[in-house]
Amino acid sequence: MAEQPLETDEVAEELPPDMAEMFEPADAPIDNSPTQHSGAGGPVVLKDRYMLDTATPLPGFDSPSAKAYLAEDRRDLGLKLFALICSPEISTRIAAIRLQKDSDSAGRLDLIDWDVIYWPPLGQRTMVIIFVQPRGGRVLHRLARKEIRITEYDVPRKLAEPLANILQKIAVQEGPHRAIRPENIFFRDEDMTEIIIGENVSSPPGFDQPTIFEPVERAMADPAGRGIGSTRDDIFALGVTIGILVLGHNPVAKTKDEDLIKARLEQGSYAVIFGNSRVPLPLLEPLRGMLNDDPVARWDFNEISNWLTGQRTAPAKKRPIRKAENPYPFRGKEYLNARSLAQQFSQKIQDAAKTAGEETFETWLKRSLGDAGMAESVKGLIQAAKFHKDGYQGSDEYVTCQLCMLLDPMGPIRYKSVSFMPDGFGPMAASQMLHNDNGQLIGEILSYDMISAWLNNQSPPYPGTSELRANFISLKGFISIKEIGYGLERVLYEINPSLPCHSPLIAQDYVMQIEHMLPALNKAASNADTNQRPIDRHIAAFIATRFDQDIHPHLKALASDARDTSIVGLLSLYAFLQWKLREQQLLGLSSWVGGLLGPVINSYHNRITRGDIEKEIPRLVRKGSLPELFDLVDNAERRKDDRDGYTEARAEWLAAEEEVNDIEGAGDERITRAERAGQQAAAVISIVITLTMVPVLLILQTW
Amino acid sequence: MAKAATQNTAKAPSFTLILWGAGIVTVWGIISPSSMLILSLGMLPTLVAYFCDRTEQKFALYCVGGMNFCGVFPFLLKLTDDHSFTAAMEIMSNVFSLAIIFTAAGFGWLMFLSIPPVVSSFLTVLAEARVKSLKSIQKKIVDEWGASIAKGNSETAAKVPLTDEETD
Repeated sequence: MAEQPLETDEVAEELPPDMAEMFEPADAPIDNSPTQHSGAGGPVVLKDRYMLDTATPLPGFDSPSAKAYLAEDRRDLGLKLFALICSPEISTRIAAIRLQKDSDSAGRLDLIDWDVIYWPPLGQRTMVIIFVQPRGGRVLHRLARKEIRITEYDVPRKLAEPLANILQKIAVQEGPHRAIRPENIFFRDEDMTEIIIGENVSSPPGFDQPTIFEPVERAMADPAGRGIGSTRDDIFALGVTIGILVLGHNPVAKTKDEDLIKARLEQGSYAVIFGNSRVPLPLLEPLRGMLNDDPVARWDFNEISNWLTGQRTAPAKKRPIRKAENPYPFRGKEYLNARSLAQQFSQKIQDAAKTAGEETFETWLKRSLGDAGMAESVKGLIQAAKFHKDGYQGSDEYVTCQLCMLLDPMGPIRYKSVSFMPDGFGPMAASQMLHNDNGQLIGEILSYDMISAWLNNQSPPYPGTSELRANFISLKGFISIKEIGYGLERVLYEINPSLPCHSPLIAQDYVMQIEHMLPALNKAASNADTNQRPIDRHIAAFIATRFDQDIHPHLKALASDARDTSIVGLLSLYAFLQWKLREQQLLGLSSWVGGLLGPVINSYHNRITRGDIEKEIPRLVRKGSLPELFDLVDNAERRKDDRDGYTEARAEWLAAEEEVNDIEGAGDERITRAERAGQQAAAVISIVITLTMVPVLLILQTW
Repeated sequence: MAKAATQNTAKAPSFTLILWGAGIVTVWGIISPSSMLILSLGMLPTLVAYFCDRTEQKFALYCVGGMNFCGVFPFLLKLTDDHSFTAAMEIMSNVFSLAIIFTAAGFGWLMFLSIPPVVSSFLTVLAEARVKSLKSIQKKIVDEWGASIAKGNSETAAKVPLTDEETD
């Protein structure tokens, strides 16, 4: 860690005056002093301890995806704090937040607490993270104001060493940082002796990074789909950051991202970013090593350590970029290698699919690029597409996606309008489903095994391949089940552990943890249409993902077509949640659910039982107890009694009905039977009279 | 319809039975021609009833035959005093005797015709009382269990129990 102040006595004249403009909007204040805004809503208290001032934003501590506001600790008023108000639309890195709160803050911004609270300027609840203010502000601002200068001699000890050390420590504790850039580096103290790295938790990994700080394969991915990556990606960003801070400017600031990526693919990242700059000689080899486009050959922390301790470092192993002898023309531009062509193909899907089937393209791959294997693979892809021309495998989008994988195996998965790394699938899916309403695309990616196909193309195998495969098989399983609690929504919450529930019923409450679900629904009861059920696909999927108990039977009942069964499923699920999470009274939710129990009550056959239940419901609603409500309406013993009683009563009714029909049903037959009985009676009487008369007459005659 | 069916199933006496009957009558006619005369003439209504009643059970035969025999029997007893054919002819030529015999047979017919409607009415009253009682039971069942019990809707809400611990 740097202990001596960086040079602050004089600032070199060569420091470009427009440095701040490269990173900050022209009108953004570059100091950290509070800006007073009146009428923004007043103070907000977090965890009964931290006072957040909604009227005092601190733009100097803003993150690209989160605004900073003044905060103070009521138990330690001398501690200068700021609160980052995260965007409710963007998922945060909750695992990293929890780890950082409980771990040592050396070398990075000190995250002291967090919570989800109502934030008046947004008009809804959102994630708020409290940090200790770095007194020295952003390094970049200090440089821009010429209060400090970083020379090539300062870099190893005062910049690279502290940053590399903390990145290595973070990598062990919580994985890659993925937000290393000049504007995210601060001085902890006013004397500017200690450099620390900024936060990386307010947005998905790599989301806020300008493309220049991302290795080229992740730079080609959408911001949300860049993925968690590895420490090598942090080292790449560190290299670019060091280079820019030493040069004092971004050498490619004015180059369009598209052109920059094409150039990086064809010439290499170092050559494009710093190739035309006067990089100090001692930094030449380290920057080349850190900016190596081959992740395996890129410097690791050991090599950085060797450099910092003055040991001999192996020269950067540069794998030559494979270039074609002749460029391939595509839509007015010429491409010298397959990777840059793949990137362009992904932008022009129909043209790409058409081109892939042309003989000239196959010839170019074979002869000019000299890759017969790739040519054969492309030919096989086109033949398979022709064979499956009526299926998805024959669609231009699928063919182009597969084509891009063949031409650029290391590049991101490029399908239709999205581009993502496999480990960035989660944030990308969230972005597409929630902001672009493009869930079908996510379903297609999973159903068509795009990620599996990408992993199959990796040589050497992509780190964590087996785990990724298992995850995506599981997600594919979820997507194949259309019932509530599964489907796309389930996928969304399974792969985004920090994503709050996006149900319209509770979206304003930023429900990120299962413990907050029932209180949010309880609150929603006062505003929602209580004729609708207090559940939807988002809520069910969220609960299924975040609740650590088996709720499969509840979901099955919930998905039933029978209304009464479905409502029993709903009530049983919420009752189970309330019981397990030890939620106290839920008056609003009980009332809401209680009002929907009509079909459940009617599912009892016995009218007396129905009446008893109806009388009892208001009392339990007033208690706010869903388990008791559930026990009332779906008590096992009562159900059994009702069922058995019904069966018995039905048998009795049927027996009576049969007898009635027997008596009434056969009109003529009954009369005939009665007549015959009468005739029989007459015959019997006649015989009896005869049998009586004959002996009597005989006796009389004898006497 | 049922009656017709019954009639169709009525069996004609077998030839052997007829032969036996003829034999007995012949022997009886040889042994006691007087009683044979009284019986053959006096029991004519029974013979008529036998042919009139086409049912299998021949209730008319029993009814008329029984009463007819009651009418004939006193005159058969008279033959014990004078067991001659002439005495038998006298009895059978006496209008009063014939009136007694045929009145007794007529009474048999009267019984056969009058008792069935009475019995039928009695049974109908009993059946109606039973139907009323059964319908009352059914109404009580429907009042308690709902109309679905008469329609056969026996589905009940699916059981989704809480866990064992919870139900404890």
